[in-house]
Amino acid sequence: MLLPEFVAAMGGGPIPVDASGAEEVGQAMLQLLLSARRTGEGATILPSPALREAARLTGLEAELFDGTA
Amino acid sequence: MTADEILSIFFVECEESLAAAEAGLAACREGTQDADTVNAIFRAVHSVKGGAGAFGFAALQGFTHTFETLLSDVREGSVAIDPPLVELLLRALDTLSDHVNAARDGGELPDDAALLARLEAAQAANAGSSGNGAGNEAGTGAAPAPAEAQAGDPAPTDDPFDLGSLLDDIAGDIEPATTAADPVWALHVRPHAAAMRNGSEPLLMLRELAAVGGECLSCDAAALPPLEGLDCAQGYLGWTFALPGSVSEAAVRDIFDFVGDDVGLAFGADAAMPPLTLDLPRAAESPAEDRADSAPQSAGAAPAPQTTTPAASPVPPAPPAPQAAAASAPAAAGQSIRIDLAKLDRLIDTVGELVIAQAMLAQRLSGERVSTSDELAMIEGLTRGIQESAMSIRAQPIGSVFSRVPRILRELASTTGKHVRLELSGEATELDKTVIERLGEPLTHLIRNAVDHGIETAEERLAAGKPADGTLTLSAEHRANRILIRIADDGRGIDRARVFAKAVEKGIVAADAPLSREEIDALIFAPGFSTAQSVSNISGRGVGMDVVRQNVKDLGGRITIESVEGRGATFTLTLPLTLAISDGMIVNVGDQVLVVPLAHVVESLRPGPGEVQGLGTDRAMLNVRGRFLPVLPLHRMVGAGGEPVAPEQGVLIVVDTEAAGKAALLVDAICDQRQFVIKSLDTHFRQVEGVAGATILGDGRVALIVDVDGLVARAVATGTPSGALAEQVREAA
Repeated sequence: MLLPEFVAAMGGGPIPVDASGAEEVGQAMLQLLLSARRTGEGATILPSPALREAARLTGLEAELFDGTA
Repeated sequence: MTADEILSIFFVECEESLAAAEAGLAACREGTQDADTVNAIFRAVHSVKGGAGAFGFAALQGFTHTFETLLSDVREGSVAIDPPLVELLLRALDTLSDHVNAARDGGELPDDAALLARLEAAQAANAGSSGNGAGNEAGTGAAPAPAEAQAGDPAPTDDPFDLGSLLDDIAGDIEPATTAADPVWALHVRPHAAAMRNGSEPLLMLRELAAVGGECLSCDAAALPPLEGLDCAQGYLGWTFALPGSVSEAAVRDIFDFVGDDVGLAFGADAAMPPLTLDLPRAAESPAEDRADSAPQSAGAAPAPQTTTPAASPVPPAPPAPQAAAASAPAAAGQSIRIDLAKLDRLIDTVGELVIAQAMLAQRLSGERVSTSDELAMIEGLTRGIQESAMSIRAQPIGSVFSRVPRILRELASTTGKHVRLELSGEATELDKTVIERLGEPLTHLIRNAVDHGIETAEERLAAGKPADGTLTLSAEHRANRILIRIADDGRGIDRARVFAKAVEKGIVAADAPLSREEIDALIFAPGFSTAQSVSNISGRGVGMDVVRQNVKDLGGRITIESVEGRGATFTLTLPLTLAISDGMIVNVGDQVLVVPLAHVVESLRPGPGEVQGLGTDRAMLNVRGRFLPVLPLHRMVGAGGEPVAPEQGVLIVVDTEAAGKAALLVDAICDQRQFVIKSLDTHFRQVEGVAGATILGDGRVALIVDVDGLVARAVATGTPSGALAEQVREAA
């Protein structure tokens, strides 16, 4: 999982997350991205169609992407 | 667990589901059409669909969707079960099986267009009779009225029922999407950590909710910690979905059927979001738990961290079918565990070594004049117990093979016009997994042969005073460490005059060969033999029965025939319980010790004066109760050292073989009769004609296991054992 990389990237402004290549998205990934958005200076996420669809399905589209993409 | 491993589990479960559906439909055909039976069929097909959607097998999912939709109507009682419907469902099951095979093997997809149309027509016919206007082809578009349908909302939509779009849904469910007129009800979903393990993925289930018209109202992320405290393996999120009134609670429960308690569900807007459950040890230190206990009950009451979708709509106070909150507990089925077969085989190998070590210990103690002791008897008992337990792990009920037979008979009925009633017994009889796997092909051919050649047409049967439908009886039973499988038909039996004439015509036997009835029956196993008037795609190519016998022989088994002209034929397969350990006679031949598998042994005797008579220069025959059998000296056949014994001084072991009938093997003496562990000679040395393998005796010596079939057939065919064969065996020894 990418959690250590996310934690390591904290502290230098919003964590940039390029998820444009994500083809399969599960609950674990949504939790990670949401937590990143809510931690410190947040995160900017570049979503793939699959990620955007998963966010839409789970009611998280606004919280994950508003102001980022 | 890798994706391939998960996929292989899916296909194993598909096989189980197909077998369950087959059993359920067979029960329906016999008149058992209660709710439990219909539910079992529905759930089996639903299971296949769920996995097909998750793994992206669109064709499989599409077919199961239509199949399941009809089953749903049956389950809800809106389509009556009658014989034509059961036949249609059985045909659909056959095609579903073909779809599963195509998905697994990457083969060609079955042509299911006509069958899909029939399934849809069955639904449409139902819609017409019930008058609710849900016909698939009529394009009325109104959702099928659920039990809780609202009488005050008849407004139809303009959208035609779009099967194609439904099939495109990754896990489309039984009801069509909601219409604007539907009432909605709330569902709270909270996947726990276990729902994200072993290939499970909560989002797949949420997609299924969306496919039936569900819409996410809110996501409860109150328990989600910041990155520093996040454990990716835990489930922190919960969702509230609005579902159309046409979707029943039972349908929703089916979606989460696979995961059981790993996903918390609460039905109705008044119900609370199921509490957060974190796996230990993190649960104890999670500050989120308390907050989760007071999770919001609806979108409107959400605390700050709650995420609400912009399109969220108000939720009415009660779901249409709120009961069953205390859902029936899952059946207390026996627990099971899947084991890598390689691990199991290693265990079996080790147990084999244990059997050998135990025999060596007994031999050593015997040399120390400790021939009996309580401890030794205890070790012997425990060793046998461990061995039997290890073998039982590999054992599977033969019912898994028998369950394929109804389909074979259905296909044969459509191609030959012969309707055959199937009678099964002993389906729970267990035998080794490898034997089970390799039994399917010979069994299939024997059944096809019985229907194609054995059972007469309805007209012929009626003329012979028999019922129009034939009967095929399959049975399995344990007998003395062997399994007997019988395939019996009540057809015309083997026409021996025709079989013999055909064999003569093909040059298999001489026209004046004096053959017994059994020997004539056995001619049907000869390579290239066939009495079929015309070659069909069922049988009659003259290769099948030969292959059947070879397959059975490869399994260490034998096949015999009993036939009564005009009354039918019975093929009996005698198979070992396992391929790893067998019973045998340990015999002395010159300077060698050999093992004769007990499966071939009929009797052993020391001949009296005059019972062995010379034939020519170096052949002899044994008179066994008036029947003469060739005497085959094992000493010469295996090239053993030392002086050969005369038949009167040795022991004659009468053996039965597939190809050459009975013969008497001459050995010096019988030392013992015990279980032996079969070691492949191919693996450790090379293949040797006349030798089936090797084993390790209690004194540590290696003994060759005699390939009785091969050795006797060769000796009988050539008159005497060849020096070359003896040389090979001596080299192996």
